[in-house]
Amino acid sequence: MSEKKDRPNEDDGRNFPDDAWSIISTLLSGILIYGGIGWLLDRWLDTVAFFPIGAVVGVLLAVYLVYRKLGG
Amino acid sequence: MNALTLLADPDTFRAPTPEELFQLAPVGGIYWLTKPVILAVLSAIVVVAIFWSAFASPKLVPRGMQNVVEMGYMFVRDEIARPFLGKDADRWMGFMLSIFFLVLVWNLMGVVPLMQFPVASHLAFPIVLAGAIYIIKIYLGVKHQGPVGYFKNMMFPPGLPKGIYVLLAPMEFLSNMIIAPFTHAVRLFANMFAGHTLIAFFSMVGYWFLFEKLTPLGAPIGIIGVLVTIVFTAFEMFIQFLQAFLFAMLASMYIGGSLHPEH
Repeated sequence: MSEKKDRPNEDDGRNFPDDAWSIISTLLSGILIYGGIGWLLDRWLDTVAFFPIGAVVGVLLAVYLVYRKLGG
Repeated sequence: MNALTLLADPDTFRAPTPEELFQLAPVGGIYWLTKPVILAVLSAIVVVAIFWSAFASPKLVPRGMQNVVEMGYMFVRDEIARPFLGKDADRWMGFMLSIFFLVLVWNLMGVVPLMQFPVASHLAFPIVLAGAIYIIKIYLGVKHQGPVGYFKNMMFPPGLPKGIYVLLAPMEFLSNMIIAPFTHAVRLFANMFAGHTLIAFFSMVGYWFLFEKLTPLGAPIGIIGVLVTIVFTAFEMFIQFLQAFLFAMLASMYIGGSLHPEH
């Protein structure tokens, strides 16, 4: 666990788990970016494997990012 | 008889199509003046009139209209503005109140008799609101965190191993700058579109089997259609309120995120 920085002012707002609302867009952006890169690679190299690999990598990265932002 | 001839048969029930429900004819020959446009303007007038009647001559001890609207104000302040804007909440109350009540009245137009069209079921309307909030979000972010700091805070959340930022920064950018405003508008639009379609379908079932083609076998289906329409109308009012709340809450969240960067 990383040490928690003390929040200077609770009255600053943001005392609600608002990051939760970004989970879906983070997951989507992971699939879109890395799936998209894989899709482009597939078109370029005339293969079929990179799109699914990219999409899975994107989901994994997105889950990791969500975990680190919310859980860590 | 195949499926196509069945569809064309005027004696069988046919569900209303999206074109019938949402492609409405212009009023008075003016091509842009359609029912949702009229309802959008009418809703704005209704919101202004409600607040005018409540606060034109405010009393220290609120009664009647002022009492009701003050409850709405407290709800927006405590549930939408303060959790995300903190000490800035009071400065933004005018905006948050306008957004919440305008979207709420837009949505409720879907169940008001004779109006019966949720304005936000045309994507153009939520896009204008979400786009305005998106511009405010970026402007405030650049103003309060600096042009470099804003994008740095957005794309490089602290506390991650250095190498992984190369992979995660483009995701954060896409998520915050493109997907977030897109889903902000589409969430409201899709909920209103689906709700209106469902209510129209079940009321069509009731109308068709009870009035258009009343038969001993069809009548129970018609009765079910009417009952489900009533239940769904109540449920839809809950969704309409919930979506107005969510839309204003996300606006507050985006603006709050620009004002105070994540720690």
